[in-house]
Amino acid sequence: MRPTSGTISALTGSLPLAEERASLRHVTGLRWGLLAAALLLTAVGLLTVASASAEMPTSYLPRQAMWVGVGLLLLIVAFAVDYRMLLSLSLPLYLASLAALAAVLVVGHEAGGAKSWLGVGGWRLQPSEFAKLATALLLARYLATTKERFLLPRQIALAALIALVPMALVVVEPDLGGAAMFLPMLAGVLLVAGVRLRLLAAAVLALALVGGLVWSFGMQDYQRDRVITFLQPERDPLGAGYQVRQSKIAVGSGEFLGKGYLQGTQSQLRFLPARHTDFIFAVLAEEWGFVGVAVVLGLYALFLLNGAEVAMRGRDRAGILLVVALLSGTAFHILYNTAMVVGLVPITGIPLPFLSYGGSFMLANFLSLGILLGVDFRRFVNR
Amino acid sequence: MKVGEHREALVERVRLLSQLFVALLATIAACFWFVQVVRGSHYRGLAENNRLRKVPIRAPRGIIYDRGGRALLENVASYDLLLDPTRTRDLEASLGFAGALLGRPPEELRALLVREQAAGAGLGPVLLAQNLRLSDVARFGVHSLEHPEFEIEVGHLRLYRHGEQTAHVLGYLGEVTATELEAADGAHDSGELVGRKGIEQHYDAELRGAAGQRVVVVDSRGRLLEEHLGRAARPGSDLRLTLDLELQQQTERAFAADGKVGAVVALDPRSGAVRALVSSPAYNPNLFTRRLAPEEWQALITSPHHPLQNRALQNTYAPGSVFKIVMAVAGLSERVVAPGDGIYCSGAASFYGHRFRCWKRGGHGRVDLHAALRGSCDVYFYHLGQKLGIERIARYARLFGHGERTGIDLEGEKSGLVPSPGWSLAVRKHPWYPGETISVAIGQGPVLVTPLQVATLLAAVANGGYRITPHLVPAAARPAAKLPLDAEALARVRHGLWAVVNERGTAAQARVEGLDVAGKTGTVQVVQQKTWTESRDLPYEQRDHAWFASFAPVRDPGLVVVVFVEHGGKGSAVAAPIAKVVHETYFRDDLRAHRQPAAR
Repeated sequence: MRPTSGTISALTGSLPLAEERASLRHVTGLRWGLLAAALLLTAVGLLTVASASAEMPTSYLPRQAMWVGVGLLLLIVAFAVDYRMLLSLSLPLYLASLAALAAVLVVGHEAGGAKSWLGVGGWRLQPSEFAKLATALLLARYLATTKERFLLPRQIALAALIALVPMALVVVEPDLGGAAMFLPMLAGVLLVAGVRLRLLAAAVLALALVGGLVWSFGMQDYQRDRVITFLQPERDPLGAGYQVRQSKIAVGSGEFLGKGYLQGTQSQLRFLPARHTDFIFAVLAEEWGFVGVAVVLGLYALFLLNGAEVAMRGRDRAGILLVVALLSGTAFHILYNTAMVVGLVPITGIPLPFLSYGGSFMLANFLSLGILLGVDFRRFVNR
Repeated sequence: MKVGEHREALVERVRLLSQLFVALLATIAACFWFVQVVRGSHYRGLAENNRLRKVPIRAPRGIIYDRGGRALLENVASYDLLLDPTRTRDLEASLGFAGALLGRPPEELRALLVREQAAGAGLGPVLLAQNLRLSDVARFGVHSLEHPEFEIEVGHLRLYRHGEQTAHVLGYLGEVTATELEAADGAHDSGELVGRKGIEQHYDAELRGAAGQRVVVVDSRGRLLEEHLGRAARPGSDLRLTLDLELQQQTERAFAADGKVGAVVALDPRSGAVRALVSSPAYNPNLFTRRLAPEEWQALITSPHHPLQNRALQNTYAPGSVFKIVMAVAGLSERVVAPGDGIYCSGAASFYGHRFRCWKRGGHGRVDLHAALRGSCDVYFYHLGQKLGIERIARYARLFGHGERTGIDLEGEKSGLVPSPGWSLAVRKHPWYPGETISVAIGQGPVLVTPLQVATLLAAVANGGYRITPHLVPAAARPAAKLPLDAEALARVRHGLWAVVNERGTAAQARVEGLDVAGKTGTVQVVQQKTWTESRDLPYEQRDHAWFASFAPVRDPGLVVVVFVEHGGKGSAVAAPIAKVVHETYFRDDLRAHRQPAAR
């Protein structure tokens, strides 16, 4: 994909005047590593979704391909629109997403025990995925206003409020996995924007406190069950521990080279639940073995390092913080999901970026990717 | 809005953050390495087990035939409903579904499930219902997708064609218990049926055969994807019994018709082959082919007459006057009495300061051995008992097999009791009273026998002094052991027993025209009576036991028949007519041949 200066300038009207410099940058300015890693991961995702749903009544491949197609369009749009415009629109976007989250609670569709879907036309979308983007935008914009080396407590509190309001709305859906992603996003921007060490310690304490409160009052029985089961999986090997056990069997039985594409017994024989969504990485690990796992984790490392490079090359505080917020959220998804599949952390509905089946999540990831590429592309412009 | 002077710090923190991400990714990769490469083969094994399931193939159980080759039972197919509680997420919903289809309350099914699991079946599938109608099988099949926890298993049910008539011979089947499973060390599968009583129990290993094994590949819903035969089942062996079905049925009808309680044993005195074995009351073994409800089981075991007891060999009774056979053989063999020696019976005699009465109020007058057997004179045998002494009586009783199991191929046989002074000191902790010898001489007192033991005694008398081993399967026959008995004495006793039936003796009612039946009646007092009371006027549990032990024909004995009626009253009136029916049935062909020329 090689955008020409004409189309881009026509779309945004904000390209630099120095035509000669710009034409060179159009080619080299694109973060190819980031894009390549994301597209390769998406391709792996399509392959794996096809395998995971091969034995299902309906294949999820065509739908996932459709989401990828729409996602690529959104990628181009997000890349083309100047992120500064998005930042300036961040407050209305944020408020709109809060409204959508509230609407979900009233008129949303329920699936898997959580009311998290909103019907838009013929589609069902998860407002929480888009709320994360809007929150990232508002956080970046707000924290970019300071000139200080370290954030003031007041600023930290307000930033926390920005993240915690949508998070609270997602918690009550209840979708713990979806809500959890707001925290790493907040933590990421705060850390990079500058937090004093003692404040960090206080935040960790506060987090522990909130965690305790959530455990006591904010969680459904099935959610508490999952955590307890994670701590003692042998307690209930056929009830709540079933998923952990089947996932570990799938991963482990893949051994070094894997059982081969479409040959995974755990997935093809339907032992593995949610294998096209949250546990897609288990399918991949079973069929492609450690080799496949290493390749995909390598692609994620490439994606994250390239994303970090975008931030480090940025000249504009808001852009850097925006990249950090988006990247932190994605990194959390990657780390948590893979750790969950291999049995390191309790099971929560946190999908794997670019691999897991899921429309809103796919769209949000491509939007986020477009913003990252756009920030990088305009690093010499927005100083 | 520029980054300004703090940009370096920002970049440094972004770099730190990205390094943290990569370090965490590397940690996770290391975990995958551990699970997939270090522990890979472990999980590979678990995955194999996940999809491979070993399913036993039940071997058809052997069929049991009578001596004429008539099948006494058959195997019929049965559709059983199994519930695997580990494969349902919502047990209540599953039970509700099954309850609705079966027309049974879900609570009842739940109680059944709890009981079965407590019984030790553990996590495996639990049998919820047996012998489903085909329409029910189809309905469960239709819902197999929503309810993968239910399985229909095709099993074999034992159908005992003659029900109660052969119950005590054949026994029944029951599901293997948890302790048996453990003890068998792999020889049994959970849920397997094993013989519980009778031939089914004794020959369980032969009848059962060996289960085979199918290996099936299933998905997580248990749906069958592929199937491989691991090992074919080896069907159980068929058994042919020595039993004569027609004789068994006639005997059972003659005995149990009016609700008599007791037993009949009919066997060939030359080999010990059992031709009929009836114990009454019996139970319907077909009840056990489906699972008994606890109430039904309770009813069976608390029934006042204990229908599960095989009275032919599991209960012991005083032999009464039947014991006089042992006394007569002992007296003659020991030459304590001569055949012509007489004694005067006035209706009672005194021994050791006690008065012992004869059953006949007026007495028998002067009797020798022959007359004493024929009239069952108690006084004669009191004197004989006194002369022999308890030790010699006990020796002869043991010689005939009293006090030990006959060795029949059925479980649970009792050995009875031959009392002696040594036994008295060791068990009762008091010396033998001489007066007890007088009681034992007429089969009262502590001596206890089973009807089957009496049959071996009669067989030895009939066959000229060989101790046989009663058996139901020809392969269980043992060579008869020659007893050190005087052949002359045995012949005289046989003649005396012939007189009991044919010379207006106590068992004239057993007389069969054209057949020389010999036998001995016995009437056992259950309670010590102060006055002469007719037994039928007493309450049931105080009435006398009735015995009649017989064989025929006298010259070349072919059948021993022992009839015992618990609280039946007089042996002569109650037991002897039944024996007559048995002899008539068994020798029907000879009798017809005998009568036809006469009719011509």
